[in-house]
Amino acid sequence: MIVCVAVVGHQNNPLYIQSFTEADDALKLHHIVHCSLDVVDERVNNPKRSGPTLNETFLGLLYPTENYKVYGYLTNTKVKFILVTTDLDVRDADVRNFFRRFHSAYVDAVSNPFHVPGKKITSRTFAERVSGIVKSFGLSSAG
Amino acid sequence: MVREVAESCVESLLTEIVSQYCNGFYANKPDLAARRIEAIGYQVGHQLSERYTMERPRFSDHLEAIKFICKDFWSELFKKQIDNLKTNHRGTFVLQDNKFRWLSRVSVAPSSENTGSIQDPSAMAESKEAQATGMYLYFPCGIIRGALSNLGIPCAVSADISNLPACSFVIRIKA
Amino acid sequence: MEEYPEELRTPPVALVAVVGCPELHTAISTHLHSEQPPINTLALPDFSKISIIAKRHKEGSDSGQFNGILKRDWLSKHRTMVPAVVAALFSSDHVSGDPAQWLQVCTDLENLKAVIKGRNIKLVLALVAQSTSKDDISEDRMIALRKRAEVDSKYLIAFDLNNPLELKQSLNRLGNAFSELANTYYRDEGRRIKTRLDRKSLSSVELSIRYCFKVAVYAEFRRDWVEALRMYEDAYKTLREMIGTSTRLPPIQRLVEIKTVAEQLHFKISTLLLHGGKVVEAITWFHQHNASYKRLLGEPEVNFLHWEWLSRQFLVFGELLETSAASIQNTSSPVLVATDRVSEWELSSAYYYQLAAQYLKEKRSCLELTLSMSETVTDIDSNAESVAPSVYVGQFARLLEQGDTYVMQPLTDEEYVRYALAEGKRFQDFFEIMALLKRSFESYTNFNAQRMASYCGFEMAREYFAVNDYTNAKEIFYSIASTYRKEGWVNLLWEVLGYLRECSKNLGKMKDFVEYSLEMAALPVSSVAGIQSLGFKECGPAGPATGAQREIIHTEVFELVRGETGLASNKGSNNFKVTSDQPVRLDIDLVSPLRVVLLASVAFHEQIVKPGVSTSITLSLLSQLPHSVDIDQLDIQFNQSACNFTVVNGQRPKSDEISDGMMGQRVETAPVLVLSTNKWLRITYDIKSEQSGKLECISVIARLGPYFTISCMVESPAALNDLPLWKFEDRMETFPIKDPGLAFSAQKAIQVEEPDPQVDVKLGTSGPALVGENFAVPVTISAMAHSVYSGELKINLVDTRGGGLLSPTEVVDPASADSLHVELRGISGLQCEDESQSGIEKIRKIQHAFGLISVPFLKEGDSWSCNLEIRWHRPKPIMLYVSLGYSPHSDDQSTQKVHVHKSLEIEGKTAVVFSHNYMLPFRQDPLLLSKLKAGLNSDQMPSLPLNETSVLIVTTKNSAEVPLQLLSMFIEAEDDSDSGNSITVRQSDPLETSLLVPGEGFKKVFAVTPEVNTPTLKMGTVCLRWRRDGDSTSSDSEVVTKYRLGDIKVESPPLVVKLDCPPHAVLGNPFTYFVRIQNRTHLLQEIKFLLADSQSFVLSGSHNDRVFILPRSEHILSYKVVPLASGSQLLPRVTVTSVRYSAGFQPSVASSSIFVFPSEPHFEMTDAGVRPESITAK
Repeated sequence: MIVCVAVVGHQNNPLYIQSFTEADDALKLHHIVHCSLDVVDERVNNPKRSGPTLNETFLGLLYPTENYKVYGYLTNTKVKFILVTTDLDVRDADVRNFFRRFHSAYVDAVSNPFHVPGKKITSRTFAERVSGIVKSFGLSSAG
Repeated sequence: MVREVAESCVESLLTEIVSQYCNGFYANKPDLAARRIEAIGYQVGHQLSERYTMERPRFSDHLEAIKFICKDFWSELFKKQIDNLKTNHRGTFVLQDNKFRWLSRVSVAPSSENTGSIQDPSAMAESKEAQATGMYLYFPCGIIRGALSNLGIPCAVSADISNLPACSFVIRIKA
Repeated sequence: MEEYPEELRTPPVALVAVVGCPELHTAISTHLHSEQPPINTLALPDFSKISIIAKRHKEGSDSGQFNGILKRDWLSKHRTMVPAVVAALFSSDHVSGDPAQWLQVCTDLENLKAVIKGRNIKLVLALVAQSTSKDDISEDRMIALRKRAEVDSKYLIAFDLNNPLELKQSLNRLGNAFSELANTYYRDEGRRIKTRLDRKSLSSVELSIRYCFKVAVYAEFRRDWVEALRMYEDAYKTLREMIGTSTRLPPIQRLVEIKTVAEQLHFKISTLLLHGGKVVEAITWFHQHNASYKRLLGEPEVNFLHWEWLSRQFLVFGELLETSAASIQNTSSPVLVATDRVSEWELSSAYYYQLAAQYLKEKRSCLELTLSMSETVTDIDSNAESVAPSVYVGQFARLLEQGDTYVMQPLTDEEYVRYALAEGKRFQDFFEIMALLKRSFESYTNFNAQRMASYCGFEMAREYFAVNDYTNAKEIFYSIASTYRKEGWVNLLWEVLGYLRECSKNLGKMKDFVEYSLEMAALPVSSVAGIQSLGFKECGPAGPATGAQREIIHTEVFELVRGETGLASNKGSNNFKVTSDQPVRLDIDLVSPLRVVLLASVAFHEQIVKPGVSTSITLSLLSQLPHSVDIDQLDIQFNQSACNFTVVNGQRPKSDEISDGMMGQRVETAPVLVLSTNKWLRITYDIKSEQSGKLECISVIARLGPYFTISCMVESPAALNDLPLWKFEDRMETFPIKDPGLAFSAQKAIQVEEPDPQVDVKLGTSGPALVGENFAVPVTISAMAHSVYSGELKINLVDTRGGGLLSPTEVVDPASADSLHVELRGISGLQCEDESQSGIEKIRKIQHAFGLISVPFLKEGDSWSCNLEIRWHRPKPIMLYVSLGYSPHSDDQSTQKVHVHKSLEIEGKTAVVFSHNYMLPFRQDPLLLSKLKAGLNSDQMPSLPLNETSVLIVTTKNSAEVPLQLLSMFIEAEDDSDSGNSITVRQSDPLETSLLVPGEGFKKVFAVTPEVNTPTLKMGTVCLRWRRDGDSTSSDSEVVTKYRLGDIKVESPPLVVKLDCPPHAVLGNPFTYFVRIQNRTHLLQEIKFLLADSQSFVLSGSHNDRVFILPRSEHILSYKVVPLASGSQLLPRVTVTSVRYSAGFQPSVASSSIFVFPSEPHFEMTDAGVRPESITAK
């Protein structure tokens, strides 16, 4: 289950962060997302993987912590997407698929004429779309 | 993700923007008009780059980003690639489009002095037509700058129309 | 890791025993210890001690019911008590000695064999030769001994104590024997157990685990790591399967045992993997371990044990990773890199410490919960006393005293829980958690993972906060707040600030409390939907990060700063209040986080202004506080304090405190001074400055309530920085100034020009200057509407055409005034009320091209003047720049001066030009040979005949534009020593003043007689004294212009032709015309002469002839001549040719001219001869 998704701007400022959990751990999730930026930095500055995956937007598993696994995605425009899930067994393809759909939702959100670049994303459409993507996470493994 | 817009529509819109800014809002201040038009282009480029860089790995250096502008980005905008790319390897790139679509309908009266870059107003002052043409180039300049800025490459972009309808865009990357 | 027993932490080392001959034991054990691999030695001094390695009688049988999985002491027993090999050391004396001794040896050996048989311990014999007689052991005895001991011959080792070399060899042999036999022993033991294991008919899972463990340990003894690892993993897997199936113990204790054993097995596996360099595998293994047991919470009342256990897993693995990382670094193997399976942080121990701390906190909270629920706290304590670890790993039992012995009695789960709670209470989790977090924090800081470090810091600070250590908590919270501020993580910042606020409150720090409260109130929390607000339960002391909470904090803090309520600190009765004794003043600079609370921008509407002229200034204030804020008063402060002014809120009654100390300052009243959220409060006032220079607005002090002020540094609208945090918000952004032009360009500073000078400086001049004179340029300063205080006049001479005023020789001798082309000589005509001396002092500095003069105080209407004296040495135009700096007010020296600049171009001209020429004696022409030789070359020096009086005519011409008075002209001889009598120049008296109008010339005639025959004779210098016409007669204005005459050549002519005729003739009257040709040589000279006809004269006499002239004699040609025409006529010219010198010459035209009067003239002689030697001619 996805418990949190976040969009982080190129200055490492949160642009959008939404948790999908009943438990009162939103603050913890904020911390987890924030800490994951260290891994993103580390991975961008010292790219570890070689071959075709170099500079791939999908950063893979950033780190596991307690009950969560944190995945990252870095766009060409230095915007980071962070995904926090409680699933222990996560298929890479599912995460990639999620990020792809999330990215396209993000692009549509920033193309919104009422959106100011670099500012938080306040569009309700975006929020609804993200909820949809989160709900369908892992359901359609083919997709 | 492919979206298309009527070409004539875009061209008319551009014409309208330029005439509105040059003759309407800032009739006597071509500098301000140019800045505004460039700013619109910047916004457009900023958003387009977000869309067109989806599904591709991150660029590892400036040249890759510029190549992206020359190939994919230009193809998306103009259905053709940049014809010639030159660089001095020190942050200056010259992108030449031999038949720049937005200028293909522009005909400039043959004048002896319609050369010069639009960044150099003194040279332009001699030729009214060239100046008017230059106004149309602030928009694509802004698009390039907006796209590159969004990719994390701050730069200055100018255009050169010394031999129409070919058009060269000069990108100077800020250190 | 430290809490594990030694035998578990270190890899097992083979154990051997030596019996007998205790004097050798030290040498043997030392040697074995240094073997590779080392062997531990159990030294038994004599054979009576061998019983300790004997197999003890076991209560119960192996096949009986099992009470546990692993025996607690099994490992330590095999490492310290059960040797793999025993070496029996016999003295050779005893072996070869009398039968009694031999019998004893045999008995000892039998006993030993009996003991080791039960354990399959291998035997080694050693014969120690103590005496020198070593050969006396008979072969029979040796064989007998070997047979009796049933050992191979290579395990019978002889020691010779007397021969160190052989001793060493023996030790080596012993070592080899030991390691070989130990290997065999451990392999055999392992096999033995393994066959049991393979029998598959094991009665219980426990036994299978135990056997796996034992096989693994035996493999470790043999250093067979692969086998060991496999067996440990088998044991681990089997154990994992046991969880759901075993029913042996009560459920709680069962789980505890399983976890404890799993922990031990896991530790072994991790250690083996890490020591093998398989870091990634180890981490993966840890993942599995973690995943397998993480959810096994167990019963709720003891789930704290689970968290403690989990925390320990992380801690131990972190420590293992740290030590192995250290050893890997030592061996400089490639740096660990993250792979697909393992992310970056999982390679760092910090990650594990952090999670260990996390789980320890979990444990603490569970423990607290459990404790709070169990009412019988005292009961727990009393009950736990007699509980101790039992013989099995992970089991506990009650020790019951039964006489001398203790009996282990199994516990019920209830008892166990009570025991565990009592144990749990004893531990101070706080320190443990802090230590873990600190290690993690430091480690992350070293990695430069500042966000991770911040999170650790946050946790640490929360721990401090929980134990009321507010000082430490505040320090850490403060240090991490900036990270969240910088990156705009508002919700995290809100939490941190909430804690900081609470810490400040508890520490009684009013100012901090107010600052944090204001910052929180102005935070952009949940202002947009993009970032959801946090739930209520988990938030810190500040409450949830919501707009409503912001408003509450806002109201609270403003009640406080207005003195309406106090700050309830936990420090007893101290109820802090903002009063006149404890006013609060906040400073907001350009980087302060409080800029969101109050942002001040000041814009001058102009960039430059005249002093005394008022201009507009707009003050714009912005606040993000949720409620509107009423400002009582605003003090606007400038760098020129005279400009400071105060704006008072017109709606507030003026209180006394406010008006105090404001005397003399400008006070404005604004109808309304209310700051609304995110709305600029703009007020515009006029301002004027009397003082020139920069006028800059420094700060704005807002007074809110009687004792609360915020001093805010102002910013220029043009250079307004983004508002921190709010810059990421999607809010209405407006400009501080409505006028867009001003918004982009306006500055908080303005340049005040210097006042217009009200003093006039005049430079008078009397036309062009003349070279040589002291040219005076009058400077007049007239104070018109300003008084002049501390005036200073600067003078500069600049070459108009550029270049210096000095000639190139200046470099050589800069002091010489001659090398200067133009020179500022001094200042004259200073008008001073007192003596001239003070006037001199006022000339502060005069250089060649630069001067600085003090100007005395001038009242309005006064004027002052002086003359600048400038001298030209060469004709040259120059620019004269004069600038007067003064201050119009006497009082302050610091104020900027007013400057008046004037300039004037002055041309320096040559006053007089000279020319000169020589004339030979009248009607007397010497034959100057040099002239003939030179031919047409006219450049050469003039030649003068020796001892003849020639005439020098010096002509001067006034080239200036003003009339000049000539005072005198004379020739100054050169200073050459030998020229004293070389030439005689007859000079007349100094001439009387003669006026020379521009363009007019003046000639003076000197008679010159050279007396020395020399090729170059210096003629000297003409000195002309002159002054401008109309100047005073004082010698100051006299100028001497010098003109150097060229050198001449003196020679004695061999021939001289003299014409002798009357001074004038009358038409028709005949006269005699002699031509005298003098031979001045000692030689006979042959002369040819030729007389040309002249139309103006009729003459008689020979026309041409050839004559010889004797030495030093004279030949005279005489002609009778009758003039036929009047006027100046040329006499018939005679051409004389000297044969000797083959040179002909004619008398000059001048000397052969004569004036013919038409009739006899009549002269009226008046004063004609007054000036015999000066002729004024045009």
